[in-house]
Amino acid sequence: MLRIRDASVTFPGSNGQDVHALDHVSLDIAPDSIVVAVGASGCGKSTLLNAIAGFLPLSEGSITLDGREIVAPGGDRGVVFQKDTLLPWANVLDNVGLGLKYRGMGRGERHEHSRRLLELVGLADFAEKPPYELSGGMRQRVGIARALATDPKVLLMDEPFGALDSLTRETMQQLLASIWAKTRKQILFITHSIEEALTLGTTIVVMSPRPGRIVARFDAGFIREFAESGDIGPIQSDPRFIELREEIRSLIHRPEGARTRTPHRTGTLQ
Amino acid sequence: MTLAANSETSFSPSTAPRAPSRKPRRSAATSTLGISLATLGSLIALWFLAAHFEWASPLFLPSPTEVLTQLGAVWADGYANGTLLDHTLASLGRIAAALGVGIGLGVPLGLLMGLNRWVKGIFSVPIDLYWGLPPLAYLPLLIIWLGIGETSKIVLLSLSTFAPICFAAQAGVRSVPDERINAALSLGASRLQLFTSIILPSALPEIMTGLKIAIGAGLSTLVAAELIAAQSGLGYMIMSAANFLATDVVFVGLIVIAILAFAFTCGMRWLEHRLIPWKGKL
Repeated sequence: MLRIRDASVTFPGSNGQDVHALDHVSLDIAPDSIVVAVGASGCGKSTLLNAIAGFLPLSEGSITLDGREIVAPGGDRGVVFQKDTLLPWANVLDNVGLGLKYRGMGRGERHEHSRRLLELVGLADFAEKPPYELSGGMRQRVGIARALATDPKVLLMDEPFGALDSLTRETMQQLLASIWAKTRKQILFITHSIEEALTLGTTIVVMSPRPGRIVARFDAGFIREFAESGDIGPIQSDPRFIELREEIRSLIHRPEGARTRTPHRTGTLQ
Repeated sequence: MTLAANSETSFSPSTAPRAPSRKPRRSAATSTLGISLATLGSLIALWFLAAHFEWASPLFLPSPTEVLTQLGAVWADGYANGTLLDHTLASLGRIAAALGVGIGLGVPLGLLMGLNRWVKGIFSVPIDLYWGLPPLAYLPLLIIWLGIGETSKIVLLSLSTFAPICFAAQAGVRSVPDERINAALSLGASRLQLFTSIILPSALPEIMTGLKIAIGAGLSTLVAAELIAAQSGLGYMIMSAANFLATDVVFVGLIVIAILAFAFTCGMRWLEHRLIPWKGKL
């Protein structure tokens, strides 16, 4: 269980005023759940992820993973970045096995394990290729396989499909749904696409900027259906999907003055 | 034809088929190769004509055939206390020693300067200060301190190769993308693993660039230092020949230096291809 309590991150701003990138955010990510944070840019969703990953220190509050406080990056939290961070000098197989190498796993075992993960993401035939010969979508698959290889407790995904074209994006969403169904990892997924949030999240948190905080949270279960059918069409035309989508959209586009007075709202479906 | 033309032709087949994945690049390379060879041929032809019609006195501009004959003579009988091979090896030995020192000290110190604020703070000012000086300006001081022998020349050359390599290693460390470091840390890398598996290879392209600059700086300092104070080496041979107006030997020396410089360039290109084929990708 990942537990975030009153987490705040404050940067010194350029005009002397502090920027509250994250303002007293509390959130639990239970095992077996995908929490998707959605919001306009600057709403603190990436700050939240970076704090959980240990890249950014909290100004206030605490984040604990299975009771242990997070103070630095570590192998128990796998991260998939928006821009792929694969090593160009290593082939796909060695990129996937990087975290295993850090743990001192021997070459043979590492390769065997990495090959299994490449199969999971559908790239078994590309093991020997250098990453720069792969397309953007394929590179993100390698990134996901690499993050999963060390079997982290939590998977943190920072707009991982944001830079992909819409067709590739759909394929990647399918892949993630099927991986989640197989591995049941707890995942925090950041996106600015409301559709993506609803398709993938078991919990969706809507965030708003200045100060970055959670304004609403919804439970949804479209991913279970999606993981089974692999078909995004019927899900996105489901009336409940459309209703939630419009509600989240109106929350995100609400003028700033009105937003701060909105009490936390919790909606539940299914 | 001179040696330069031969090395040009032997160079082309080794590069052309080696880049199979980049077709547009290769066709551009092969199309300029013909033009380059034609230019070289025209220059040599012009030299023949100039010498043949004596546009300049033969004392100032020897003919290509004369230079070629002299090349054979200097190779076999030597000039200024040594054969051509002796002088070439003396020069190469100095630059090799200087590059060894430059790499051996410059890479580790540059990496440390990129990693640690204190190391950078302490070393950047003295390096910046001396790097701004023309090497020949402080050669007399080195000779007073270290004598006229090999030591002063190798120290001079090492100083000129050290700075670019050190700066490059430092820039290489700072060019590592933060995300790459964060990714490694979240995969559980220790500090040592982070250095060996991420920072060092990421800095390698910059270090190679620094090495290229160092070779250029070293070569020009080398010849200049040999012109001033030496009993062997290509610069010394050129200077001795110039004192006796032996222009053909001067040409021989220049051609050998040009070939050496060209060989260094090709060698570096080959090394980059072997070590960092991924440079500029991703």
